[in-house]
Amino acid sequence: MERLERDLEFYGVSRRDFLKYCASFAVLFGLSELEFTRRLAHAVEKAERKPPVIWLEGQDCAGCTVSFAGLLYPPVGAIILDKLSLRYHETLMASAGELAESVYHETVKEGGYVLVVEGSIPSSDDRFCLVGGRPFREIVLEASKNATCILAVGACASFGGIPKATVSKGMGVKDLVSGKPIINLPTCPVHPDHLVGTILYILTTGKLPELDDFNRPKMYYSQSIHDNCRRRGHFEAGNFLQDWNDPAQKDYCLFEKGCKGPMTYADCPIRRWNSGTNFCIDCGAPCVGCAEPGFYDEMSPIYTAESEASRKILALKKSGLI
Amino acid sequence: MGRKIVVDPVTRIEGHLRIEVEIENGKVKEAWSSGTMARGFEAMLIGRDPRDASYVTSRFCGVCYSVHQLCSARALDMAFGAQVPWGGNLIRNLVMGAQYIYDHVLHFYQLSALDYIDIMAVTEYKGRDPDLLAIKEKIVKLVKAGDPHPLLPRYKPDEFCVRDPEVVLTAVKHYLDALKMHAKARNMGAIWGGRTPHYQNIVVGGVTSYPDINQVMQFKTMLDEQKRFVDDVYVKDVIYFGTGPLWKLAKTGLGAGHRNYLVYGDFPLDPNWKELVFPSGVVYDFDHTEPKVRPFDHNKITESVKYAWYREREPVHPFDGEQVFDLDKKGAYSFVKAPRYEGRAMEVGPLARMIVKKHPVLFDFFRRGGKVGVVARHLARAIETQLMVEACYRWLDQLLVEMTKPGFKIHDTDHWEPPAEGMGYGFHEAPRGALGHWVKIRDKKIANYQAVVPSTWNASPRDEKGQRGQYEESLIGVPCPDPENPINIVRVVRSFDPCLACAIHVIDPVTNEVRKFVVE
Repeated sequence: MERLERDLEFYGVSRRDFLKYCASFAVLFGLSELEFTRRLAHAVEKAERKPPVIWLEGQDCAGCTVSFAGLLYPPVGAIILDKLSLRYHETLMASAGELAESVYHETVKEGGYVLVVEGSIPSSDDRFCLVGGRPFREIVLEASKNATCILAVGACASFGGIPKATVSKGMGVKDLVSGKPIINLPTCPVHPDHLVGTILYILTTGKLPELDDFNRPKMYYSQSIHDNCRRRGHFEAGNFLQDWNDPAQKDYCLFEKGCKGPMTYADCPIRRWNSGTNFCIDCGAPCVGCAEPGFYDEMSPIYTAESEASRKILALKKSGLI
Repeated sequence: MGRKIVVDPVTRIEGHLRIEVEIENGKVKEAWSSGTMARGFEAMLIGRDPRDASYVTSRFCGVCYSVHQLCSARALDMAFGAQVPWGGNLIRNLVMGAQYIYDHVLHFYQLSALDYIDIMAVTEYKGRDPDLLAIKEKIVKLVKAGDPHPLLPRYKPDEFCVRDPEVVLTAVKHYLDALKMHAKARNMGAIWGGRTPHYQNIVVGGVTSYPDINQVMQFKTMLDEQKRFVDDVYVKDVIYFGTGPLWKLAKTGLGAGHRNYLVYGDFPLDPNWKELVFPSGVVYDFDHTEPKVRPFDHNKITESVKYAWYREREPVHPFDGEQVFDLDKKGAYSFVKAPRYEGRAMEVGPLARMIVKKHPVLFDFFRRGGKVGVVARHLARAIETQLMVEACYRWLDQLLVEMTKPGFKIHDTDHWEPPAEGMGYGFHEAPRGALGHWVKIRDKKIANYQAVVPSTWNASPRDEKGQRGQYEESLIGVPCPDPENPINIVRVVRSFDPCLACAIHVIDPVTNEVRKFVVE
């Protein structure tokens, strides 16, 4: 033990140092988690039990999980611990293997949970995605049965996303499951506000939000990127960015760099990303159309105006519709 | 014949991983690591505009987001003949620096820490720190309500779990703080990256985000806050745990595996790439008293498919790689191929980088009796997070100077259009280790695309000589006294920070063949 103390001192860290830090850190952030909890919406405070959630990952990149984990207002820790009972989530849960599987099975048996699906489901051959030795397709079907509603997060779970274009032919939840309310929250990855806002809406009102033809909540997906784009004036004036090095054209329209804003419905220009820090178009990159069912095939090539989506935009422009 | 146990899914990693081990006399005798998901991104790229590759390959993984975007852009830079201006490289460095800080912090707290603490010890906290009491109260409330998910259930705590209530509570507090800090690190990257996960600004030839001085200041202010957390919390926690309660574990060398390390090298600190944050190099049979670092030569990389679900063929260099799926192949057990360097299985990642760099703090840890293995991996990861923070300050200063020069550039616009023919490769030291992309272009379209990613090196199955992959080798001899509770196995595997979605992204570019599915 003495040896350990010596080693610790060598590194300049004592147990006291380590513990002391905590208090100063709390000051830095102001609110403690618990105080925050007290201020959350009444509807959820009153709930006798937190709604159970099963979060499945199929042909995914975990980007939607990471996006969700990036929520600061409210902090995602408060959502995970205070608002939801996150029973199964491969990337976040403490347990693994059979233990993890047993929690999953118990929750499914119990029923009444919200099912979140991240990633697509291979439709050409089940073996492209096995979890616990079982086809992901079977797991989604099984977990859907006793779910109250299903949230398909991200482009992949909503419409197949990029995997749809591959030989595994990824499909969205709606292509597989019927007879259950399904809410699609596309974009690649899901916007954390869209996900948490939808969950809070359901918990607070007991109802699903109003959906569009593609099962996307209208509150987030009813206006085009183009309609709210601050570069739109340049589109009208025909000022298209050619050279990223030129400060004079750095805010020009990105249509000729492949922007699909006019064909894409999401509130990115208003809501923006990463706590309002930025979004694709404001970093000089084109909108790729990731909120649309045609993503990715219709949007490719991404960086020129030669994609199917770009041709549609040109046709609309010619006929004076945009 | 020992008892076989299977951990599937291995959770708190990216992607789908199955670990199968054979236990004899309370120890792991044999181990098999299998990647169980494939999407087939690379083959899908064939025939497309090459510039799409950086966008699409970024989606290999959303945890280590944008590492493929950068690596792909570098392979395309070479194939297009593009010269990325120093301004473009500085912004690439800075957004990836932000990504590192986020990624390593996430790995330690969210993905690993729960393996090293007995979370129920918090109920015994007798102190009066209001912050810790609030957390105690919260956890007790969750447990009383019978709903402590996702913190419970877990594998039963063992001799290496910290039980001191105050330490555990502090660790839980840091777990919650880390959630906020890595969200903020990602916001920092989004200043030029556009958003996270998956930046939007890295393209062939440079970046799309023209910087201004206010953004430099915004980044610096956010970096100051990250630095405080990294120095005062993350690094201290790792050192505290590693040399304190887990010192016993550090000395066992649990999970060492093959002692071969590979670093491609990355993160230039000057326009001529003379000085790198992570120098390249190769180490065989590591011995800390005489570390011999050899030069790295990418021509010595080959990939074996003997035990992977791809058409059988001899090991080849990635430029000539192919991926013809054979889902019915006898003896195969993974979608991950087996890359080898001069025929050897290598470890890539933070431990490899800090060994090749001969970092004094890590070597001190070795001199004091710490061994390569689980704890050393966490320590190396923390050390290099600090290096990355310091490098970001340098790059910000350099960017300020650069952007005020006349003719400042972020992109090679002359080489934006795809060439008729071309070949290129790009390397990147991603948070999880050495990453390489190889591309061939014909008729202005992608003719072949290959990526060999860090987790392919680490999680690979056996090769044609029967040599185990690094995860597998690391598991041999690991104590597993209770097969129902294989906590050491997940500790070892998680110490590598697995990213399986990255490792399995390939499919047959020639026939797009998929065999008929048979239910077992």
